[in-house]
Parts: sequence; structure tokens; C-alpha cells
Amino acid sequence: MARSISRRSFLKAGAAVAATSVLAGCQPGLRRWVTLEPYVVAPEEQPDGIPTWYASVCRGCPAGCGIMARVMNGRAVKIEGNPEHPLNAGKLCANGQAGLQILYNPDRLDAPLLTAKRGSREFARLPWDSALSTLAAKVKDAGSAVAIVLGPTTSGHLVDLFQRLAKALGAPAPLVFDARSSWSGTAALSAANQALWGQGALSAYDLGGSDVIYSFGADFLGAGLSPTRYGIEYGRFRSQPKGARGYLVQFEPHMSITAAKADQWVPIAPGTEGLVAQAIARIIADEGLGTSDRIARAAALAGEINLASAAQAAGVDVQQLRQLAQVFAEAQRPLAIPGNGQSGAAGVTAAQALNAIAGGAGMALQGNPPAPALVRAEPAGYGQVQHLIGQMGSGAVKALLTYGTNLAYELPAQAGFLDALDKVGFVATFSPFMDEMGANSDMVLAERTYLESWGYAVVAPDFGVAAVTSQQPVVQPLNDARSAGDVLLAMAKQIPSAAGAFTWSDEVAFLREVAGGLPAGAAGGTGADAQWARFLQHGGWWPASAPASQPTPPPSASAPISVAAPQYQGDATIYPFHLHVFASPLLGISGANLPWLQGSPDPLTSMCWQTWVAINPATARKLGVQKSDVVRVTTPYGELEAPVYAYPAVRPDTIAVPLGQGHTDLGRYAQGRGASPLALLGGDAGPDGEPAWATVRCQVTPTGRSVNMATFEWTPGVEQGFFNQGYPGE
Amino acid sequence: MRSVIRSPFFRRVFIAVVVTVLVLAAAAASYISRTQAAPQQPIPFPHALMVQAGVQCTFCHTTATESPSPGMPSVEKCMGCHKMIATTQPAIIQLAAYWQNKQPIQWARIYQLPRFVQFPHDVHVNAGLNCERCHGDVGHMTVTHQVNNMNMGWCLACHEQQPNAKQLMDCVICHH
Repeated sequence: MARSISRRSFLKAGAAVAATSVLAGCQPGLRRWVTLEPYVVAPEEQPDGIPTWYASVCRGCPAGCGIMARVMNGRAVKIEGNPEHPLNAGKLCANGQAGLQILYNPDRLDAPLLTAKRGSREFARLPWDSALSTLAAKVKDAGSAVAIVLGPTTSGHLVDLFQRLAKALGAPAPLVFDARSSWSGTAALSAANQALWGQGALSAYDLGGSDVIYSFGADFLGAGLSPTRYGIEYGRFRSQPKGARGYLVQFEPHMSITAAKADQWVPIAPGTEGLVAQAIARIIADEGLGTSDRIARAAALAGEINLASAAQAAGVDVQQLRQLAQVFAEAQRPLAIPGNGQSGAAGVTAAQALNAIAGGAGMALQGNPPAPALVRAEPAGYGQVQHLIGQMGSGAVKALLTYGTNLAYELPAQAGFLDALDKVGFVATFSPFMDEMGANSDMVLAERTYLESWGYAVVAPDFGVAAVTSQQPVVQPLNDARSAGDVLLAMAKQIPSAAGAFTWSDEVAFLREVAGGLPAGAAGGTGADAQWARFLQHGGWWPASAPASQPTPPPSASAPISVAAPQYQGDATIYPFHLHVFASPLLGISGANLPWLQGSPDPLTSMCWQTWVAINPATARKLGVQKSDVVRVTTPYGELEAPVYAYPAVRPDTIAVPLGQGHTDLGRYAQGRGASPLALLGGDAGPDGEPAWATVRCQVTPTGRSVNMATFEWTPGVEQGFFNQGYPGE
Repeated sequence: MRSVIRSPFFRRVFIAVVVTVLVLAAAAASYISRTQAAPQQPIPFPHALMVQAGVQCTFCHTTATESPSPGMPSVEKCMGCHKMIATTQPAIIQLAAYWQNKQPIQWARIYQLPRFVQFPHDVHVNAGLNCERCHGDVGHMTVTHQVNNMNMGWCLACHEQQPNAKQLMDCVICHH
């Protein structure tokens, strides 16, 4: 060992140091600069740093809320409600806010796709001309054996174009259906109003002026018919003059967000909403509660019912039913909000009958659209879906076109849609994404998203103010996807029987013609050009002054309404629990490919990004499972595995599972995540033709596995009570 | 002290420490000087040539009087002139390649205020400040670089000289 460093080694060391530091300095990427990347071609009229706002329509659900999209440098950066719009007055729900992630989703399709083997998910990209001529040829060959299925959020002008196409081909009219329309009870409500008032229209409820509201399983603040507007209405309900707060009672087996906001949650057995409504009507008639008008109407509308067995079926006391009937009958302006009819359409009619009994004030029946040329996508009842599946299965459908509805995912397997699809000659889907319907189609036509498209939406329900929301592109189309309207017009020109029905050069010309038929409205403007400009600029058409509220006509039901006891599917000894399938207010049924919706915690459980099985804590203890344990839920129709969430606000004999996950397609955020409870449901219709999806029984078996669940809450506080008190009934 | 250094062990330690400190100092000097230097740009864009040719700042930075952001010219803007001007210069050939491939130019950003500061160009330019006031003599720069250390003190030094200093010295005027 040297006692000191020699000059040579010192110089060597110094050289090494110098070399190292120079080399270190020469690394590329020593500092990563922030880059400033301007456009290759700047969008016109988009000055840097100054936002432009475009009014359009939200297509998250069929309600038709008006939106304002804030666009910076040609990119949509925020969606808010349109403050001028009479339906939502500037408010917007989470689903609407998440629309940006539909526009900028990385899994968007950008070219038409064709597969040689349906279901293989191996598609070849086609140029648009080739896709159009193939599509036209297939539709032409099918003659009148063409079936068209549309989603309820389809723009009115597209429904119109598809209807005209069907008529020109001699094919049946397009069918409008999706799972959400069933869970929000659209068709059942129209049918109930037809039975009671002779008008097959939707009804909306003026919560703000009501003192007592009974909701029979209607999650109107969650994934219901018009959640944003009902949110506003609920605010008015709770802020009535002189400090009045209204009284809301929610009848349902599993506490939804609406039940959580209610003053009283009555946990009735699934499928008994109609029985309870009819029992209340019967009690009003029999015990003479309320005004003589109400008693008389109750006597006319309420069918015979055994109160004791109805109460037992629902799991309530007869005395409780009497108190509820008294409160309703003696209220100043009571309202009943019907559920979704998945336990039988008669149940919806029975709930609506309570409104008829109350006198009908506070309920607005949907009127006609403000111009005769306007078309609305009206969801069909389940019976029509079954009829279509039957037609498909018998080989009577040679070409199936679908738009805006993912039926291959949104129907239970047992409904037989996928099996029937095998017998259809040619299947074409219009969609911005490769969803299950696209994956099971021959051709997928890359559709533009709603933020890049034109159209209109007749607001429904309209809460007494007829309105039409306009739709315009808020950004230049991001890719080579084309709008279905233009595709239809181009395709029709190649089909001799249809060419005559489609004379417009493009869909905007068609839209201008339709919008030109609107009368003078709030936005004003003289002449067609000015009216069209105002229609787009203000986000739609509505009347200049609110119309006088139409009094509800007296009910015209021919016979008293009678609700049958629920017919549960599954032997109670093998399947001891009830199954309640519901839509979480944020994810809904179709939000799985939007990370903002996936990542927003469910308001009542704080769960996100997964499916859960909500089990009452006492029941969970009996089964020997706790939160995060994976259980298998089996019904006579199928099975599902998902982790447990010990949820105190569900009946001990009921298991609740949310919809929305369990996709095999629909992109990276949706695929292979969670499980779909549609696998647990049957395909047959119940009594009255509605799907019998509320009356399925199930069994729950622990699997021995558990998963790490991400939740935004302190688990012991939920499960054990704040002071480890446990829960009543244990 | 001398007795410590005389001990062979401590001598080695001392030399090792000195050498380490020198290495670190060299590296630090090299890294720090690199952070202060003007960034390397994908195309060697010389402001001096443009300004001497008579091009105004707002010809390319179009929204300096209208928007908080002054705007960066698109490739289309450059090509508007350079389709015809100086087309044989290497830098212009580079530019034309971006245009042909429809690729945006990833300029290295020179001025980057923290995100909690909202600086509006339009207010300042419309108040009569010309670009050189803050950005230096860009008209004579070949490689664009930052001349002023734009920290809060520097901003406030001007703000407190104004007639409406009371408003301009309020936190919320920039931090909102």
C-alpha cells in the first residue's frame, strides 16, 4: 500500500474525473424540455387561449339535456349544462360530463371494418367507398327482410332516416330498445298512461310542488328517466315555501341514491311494488281516506286485493300500509312515481293509478313534438324485442342494421339474441367503438361521436314545456369516421327502391328542412337562415313563454287495475335469495369504457372499477363471508362471480348486483373487468309482456377466494357501526 | 493538523474526499450550466433573420393582443412564405419535411411559468409593453433564449411602479 498518492495515479484519477463529468454532460436527455407543439394546420376561428362555447345535446341518456362544450384551440375541454335550456337549466349529470371521454377515447374506430368470419374479431379495414357499396349491395339483396334496431339516444333525424329507409324497402319499422330503457321503465310507463289516459306518452312529475311523494322503486335521482332534471326538481321539493320540505317515501328492496335521500325507505320484496300501490289504493277506497273525489276514484281504479297476503308478500305490516295510505290520501298534492315494470307492467299502472286517484295535479303527460316533422326515438316494449329475436331465429331477417344499442351485451344470454343472430344473413353495426354488437357483426361502420355530429333530440319527458335540443359538432371530426346520416344517404343512392326517398345532398340539408318547420320560439329570428342559426346557437327550440300547465284529464281506465302476486323464478329451496339487479347512477349500463365514470365512486358504497355483490351484513355473517370475499351467485339462468360488499341497506333476503361491467369488448377500460348480472337473468317475458327481471331468485356460495377492493371509505365504520354496535336484526 | 495529514490513512481519506468533491462540483457545474443554456430546438429558427426581414412579432404570435396566450404559428403559417422563400436552405428543407409528413414541430419551450401563475399577454401588450421589454432583444437573437429571470420579484418590481399599484400588488391578480 502506498503511503501517498503518486503523481501518476493522481493524474490518472483526475483525468478519469474529467472524462466522467464531460461524458455525463453529453448525455442526450440530460434535461427533458417541455415542448410547445402548435398545430400543423390551425383550426379556423380558434384563437389560442380563448375558448369558444358550442351548444349541443347530451347523448348520455335519452332525456335530451342541453349542453355547452367549451372548446380551446379546437379541442373540447369541458362540458357543462346549457343554462338557457328549459329541461336542465345549466345542470348536468356525471354521465354528461364524461362525454369528453367518448370523444377522445383511445379505442375509437376510425375506418369501416369487415370480417370474413362473424365473431372472430378479426376485421379488415375498408375504404369508405368499398364499405358503402358492400353495405348497399347487402341491403338491396335482403329486399324487405331488413331489420333495424336503434338505441333510445339516437338523434331524431336518424330515426327518421332509418324509418324512411325501412318504409322504402318494405321492411318493418325500426325497433328502439336498450337495457337502460328497460331499467328506467320507459315503455312500461307509456303503456300505463295508455291504459289510464288513452295517451301512450311519458309522464313527468312536478316534485317541487308536491308535499308527499311515493316512489315505487323509481330511482329518479339515479339512473332514471331524466336524472338531471329530477335532481333540480328534488331541490325544489326540499325548498318549498315556509320551510316545507316535502315527504318522500321510497319503496324498494335495495337502497338506491333516491332511497338514501328519502325520508322513509320501505324495504319491500322485489317485484311487489305494484302490489303495494294497489293495496294503498284499495285501503283509500275501503276506509274512505281523503276527499270524496279521491275515494271515488280509488274505488273505481283499485281492484280487489287481499291486504294481508299483499303485505306478507311485500314484507310489510298491514298497519304500515294503512298509515301510508292515510298519509297519501290526506296530502294536499301527493305524487306517485312508478318503477320500471320489470315485475309486470300492471305494477306501473297501479302506481300511476295513485296519481289518477290523487287528482293528477303535478303530473304532466308528454305532448306532441312542436313540429310534426320531428321524430322521437320511442323505446319499444320487450315483447317487440322478443318478436324480433323470433324473426331473426327463423331466418326471416336477411340483413340486420344496428345503431346506438349494444344488444349483444345488453340482453341476457337466455333471450337468445346471439343464437338468433347466427341465422341472420348480414349484420352491420354503426358505432364509434368495437362493442359486443360490433364484435358479433359482419361490418362495423365507424360512427362519429355525438360531439362531432349533427342532429336533434325531442326532449322526453318534457315536464310540460315542449322542447327540442339541437346537436352540432363542437370540434372538427377527429378521424375518418363518418356520420350515420351521411352514410345512409350515400348508401340509399345505391339502392334503387330507396334512392327516391332520400333526395337530400347530406344530413345537414335534411336537418335544416326539418328544423325549418318549427314555429317561432324563444330564440326568435326571422327567416329560415336566422332561425337555423339561433337553433344551433342557443342549443335548441323551446317556446317563448312557458305554456299554461295542462290539467291532467280524468282517468279513462275501463276496469279496475289488478296486480298479480310476483311469480318468482327459481325454486326457493335451491335459490333462497331474491336477486335485485340495478344500475349504479354513475356507471349506468353503458359507461364502462369511460374512466371518469369507472373511477367515480358509487355514491352509496364508494366502489369503483368493479362489480360487487351487495349482501346484508347479517346475511353475510351467516354465509361466512365478508367484504372482499368472492362469491358465486347462481340463478336458474346462469352464474356470476364477484366480491362481496356488506351493505346494510338491502333486505337480508335479497342480493343486489350492479349492471355495467363484464364486457368482453368495448375497449381497454371495459374489457375483462367485473361481471355482468345480465347473465343471471332469463329471457322470457313476465305477465303483461315486460321482461321478468325483478323476480329472479338466486343462491350465493363462497368461493374461498378474496380480492383487494378499492373503496373510498373506512370499512370497519360501515360494517361494525360507529361504536361496534352491530345492526338491528342480528 | 499537520499531524493528522501525516498519518497515511487520513491522508488517503482526505484525498478521496477532495477528489469526490471535485467530481461532484464538476458534474454540478456541467448540469447547472446546461439548465441555464438555451434549449436545443428541432429546427434552428433564427428570430434575428425574421425581424430583420421586417416581420412583426404579431405576424406569427397572432393573439398577443387578444388572448392570454400569444399563440405559436402553425406549420401552415411558416409554409405560407417558405413555400417560396429560401427553399434551398437546410433549415427550410427540414421545415418542409414537417409539412409534407403533417408532423407538428416540437419546439422546446423557453418560457414556462409555474401553473399557479396566470399571466395574460393581452393585458400587458395592450397596456403598452412591447415584447422586448420582457423577452429581451429577440430581434437580434439567433438562438432564442431567456434573458430575464422571471420570478415574482421581477414582476412585482414593475407592478408596484404603476398608478394602479394597489390592485396590481394583490395576490389574486395572478394567483387565481
